[in-house]
Amino acid sequence: MIGSPAPGARFVDPAVLARVGNLEFVARSVVDGVINGLHRSPFFGASVDFAEHRGYVPGDDIRRVDWKVFARTDRFFLKEFEADSNANFSVLLDVSKSMAFGARLSKLDYAKTLAACLTYLVHQQRDRVGLVTFDHEVVDHVPPSAKHLDVVLHTLDRVKAERPGDIGPPFQKLAEHFGRRGIIVVISDFYAEPDRIFEAVAPLRFRGNDVILFHVLDPAEVEFPFTDPSAFEDIESGDQLPVVPDAFGDQYRALIKAHIDELSSRATAQRMDYMLLQTSMPLDYALFQYLSIRDRLTRTR
Amino acid sequence: MTFLTPLFLLGLAALAIPVLVHLTQRERTTVVEFPSLMFLKKIPYESVKRRRLRDLILLAVRAAALALIVAAFARPFVRGSELSASGGGAREVVVLLDRSYSMGAGDAWARAQQAARQAVQGLTGLDRVSLVLFSSSAELVLRSSADVSRVIAEIDRAQPSAGATRYAPALKVASSVLAESSLPRKEAVLVSDFQRAGWQPDDAFRLPGGSVFTPVVVDAGAGPNLTVTPLSVQRLRVDNQDRVVITGGVTNRGTEAASAVKLDLDVDGRIVQSQPVSVAPGSSASVTFAPLTLPPAGLRVATRLPSDALAADNAFHAVLTPPGAVTVLLVSSGSRGDSDLYLTRALAIGDRPRFDVVSVQVDALTPETLARTRVIVLQDLPLGDALAGRLRTFVEGGGGLIIALGPRASLPAAEWLPVTIGSAEDRTRGAAAKLSGFDYGHAVFEPFRAPRSGDFSTTRIFGFRTLTARPAAATLARFDGGTPALVEGTVGRGRVLVWATTLDLSWSDLALKPVYLPFVHQLVRQASGFREQPGWVTVGQAIEVGAADTSAVVLSPGGQRLSPPEGASALEVAEAGFYDVRGAREGESLRVVAANVDLAESDPTRLDPAEMAVAVTGQPGPGGAGEPAAAVPDEVQEQAQRIWWYLLFAGILLLIAESWLARRLAPARL
Repeated sequence: MIGSPAPGARFVDPAVLARVGNLEFVARSVVDGVINGLHRSPFFGASVDFAEHRGYVPGDDIRRVDWKVFARTDRFFLKEFEADSNANFSVLLDVSKSMAFGARLSKLDYAKTLAACLTYLVHQQRDRVGLVTFDHEVVDHVPPSAKHLDVVLHTLDRVKAERPGDIGPPFQKLAEHFGRRGIIVVISDFYAEPDRIFEAVAPLRFRGNDVILFHVLDPAEVEFPFTDPSAFEDIESGDQLPVVPDAFGDQYRALIKAHIDELSSRATAQRMDYMLLQTSMPLDYALFQYLSIRDRLTRTR
Repeated sequence: MTFLTPLFLLGLAALAIPVLVHLTQRERTTVVEFPSLMFLKKIPYESVKRRRLRDLILLAVRAAALALIVAAFARPFVRGSELSASGGGAREVVVLLDRSYSMGAGDAWARAQQAARQAVQGLTGLDRVSLVLFSSSAELVLRSSADVSRVIAEIDRAQPSAGATRYAPALKVASSVLAESSLPRKEAVLVSDFQRAGWQPDDAFRLPGGSVFTPVVVDAGAGPNLTVTPLSVQRLRVDNQDRVVITGGVTNRGTEAASAVKLDLDVDGRIVQSQPVSVAPGSSASVTFAPLTLPPAGLRVATRLPSDALAADNAFHAVLTPPGAVTVLLVSSGSRGDSDLYLTRALAIGDRPRFDVVSVQVDALTPETLARTRVIVLQDLPLGDALAGRLRTFVEGGGGLIIALGPRASLPAAEWLPVTIGSAEDRTRGAAAKLSGFDYGHAVFEPFRAPRSGDFSTTRIFGFRTLTARPAAATLARFDGGTPALVEGTVGRGRVLVWATTLDLSWSDLALKPVYLPFVHQLVRQASGFREQPGWVTVGQAIEVGAADTSAVVLSPGGQRLSPPEGASALEVAEAGFYDVRGAREGESLRVVAANVDLAESDPTRLDPAEMAVAVTGQPGPGGAGEPAAAVPDEVQEQAQRIWWYLLFAGILLLIAESWLARRLAPARL
């Protein structure tokens, strides 16, 4: 699977990879890259797909002059190809305390597995991989690099959900770091108002990054299966609220559904991918489904 | 609003219990950790708010229920309210009517009946009345009756008795009736002439709290009242004839001097002698009649005064009978001539009963001699089996046997004898033995019970036989070493008394001590079973009719044929005069008993009703002084209003409502 067994390697689920291994995680938009890869580069490069001819300007590499056209027209034209590039792939993982929620499998563990699998997948595509963990500030920052798979896995192994989260401040800070266009995967439970979420995420998108939002939730957060009247305690703030599930359930389910719908529609509007993942859903199935759709969309574009 | 027992209000602190329960339950509420309350907080709060309001209602219901119950225990009432002012509810009235013979003086009884009628005439249909007629004892004629006319009929039917006034039994009955009554107002009305003689203050007959005591004084009026005093009888024995000299007395209880009042001596229904008596007011005088010969059948005598305002105390009755004699056989071996000296001399004295003492040798104990004898005294005799057999027959037939043991005495090992005798103890050297461990409850030693009533401690015993009492025998005295000195046993209808030492001077100096005479008198009296018949009894006492005489009847002085109650052998004396106890055969008179009224009842000294009111109510207020109750006691007001009952009922209803409400809210309650 990987050359050296890193501590975080346990998050790289063979079952997931077996299912999605024949798919490609390809950036839907152009990304900057320095080596040939699967992604379309914004630059014309040395690839096999001819793009166009353009007039020579001083400074162009004379090796790229199309001598056949020069012979016919006596003018210098450069032959340009659509260059495929390798990309910066960064996972922005929410490690706020709310991610620790989960009866059998916590959201954080699920998210770690997702991040590890994706990272491994794109690393196999020779892309540069990086990781940022955040709660109400940036916790760990692994810059994208082709050599950072182990670091990313190590970091994933270490992270713990301990502090309250806030998506605003860390994203403001991160926007400055992602100057080079790449793929940014945000994995979070997105407990914030949609306005605030997209206010934080939009700058990344505006800089040309391909932003994918993975919304990880526990089934209990969606279905609200509680029956006994209890005091509900906010894991992050410690606030308590008396709740009668019989009376609250329907309204809660309606509110969470509205929240998911809002996130989905606004992500679409801003050309971001949005995927809701419930921890009860097998990750291989979920990821396969997502990548299939994405692949199909990319090809039809 | 006032509270009768305000300390119970401290129970209001219990109101904190529901709050504590509420808080405790809150703490026990399960806590569910949830990633974010973001959406839950958006849910409108209305439903929660309403639920809390419901909890407050539950809390209020619980608190109100507890407050009501606590208030009920504090027994609230409205002082001076219309309820209490209008009387405070139904009354339980006990009318105590004195029917002692002093109430028969003049028109006192008619006025007493009128006062009793007045006491019950104002009662309403809700009230209850009890009627108690009392003299020396109390009779509850009617208990808690609402029928006033029946009560009045009973009052009209009642008559003064021959008994003396005793307030205690009547007040105890009244206290009992009032205590058991559930009516809110309790009253006792005592109609009497309030003689002090019948009053002995005692907390035992205090009326229940809140009771009103109303004394109604019936004045017998001041008039001449002479009273005969008990007869004094002096017995003489002249020419083998029993004679009596009777002295009669007169007391003037009136305020005027009585001069030359004729005092008659009535013998067997005929006036045989009369003596004039002059008595100053408040003093007494006595006259002695000429001696009378007492026939073996006895005499019925009475002293009588002319009738006056109170006739019941103008006659005194007595039955005089010959004292009778107890034949005592002193049996000795004949070897010592003076062995019977002290015993003979001691028994020669005394007339209650008279002892006819005969000294015989042991050989002279023939059946004829035994038949004439009541008591046999054996002095230091070896008792052979043949003689023992005859003596056993004698004792079983009702005779008495006294065995005084000396050095020569021996007894057969017969079961009927109360002891077995052992060796002789010689105390001539060293300290002499002393008598101790007397059974002062026994008839032999009962006269020596009181201090300075005979001292046995100075008696020295120089020798005695060790006795072992049989289990059925009673040891009446012991020597200082603990061995029995006097043992009594019952054989058939007779008794055997065994004295462990001699009754002469050979082994002790008892015969020289002052206690010797009364001691041997008691010994012989006990052995003979002699019982002195009193010359008269007082009204209220009982006369023995005899259990064996189941067919015996008693003719009362008024001529009524009376029988003892079922299963009883005694009959209470209810009137003054002669009671004739008759056997089954026609005309057979077993005995005659004279009965007299209690002369203390003649003493007209008045008791202050206020003193009695204080004693029976425990309150020095007017309620106990015979005046109308001006202020109704708090207890009575509270009992009349009974607010506690309503509060308790409301409290219980609220608790039921609370249970229902709690069940309704339980599914939605945190």
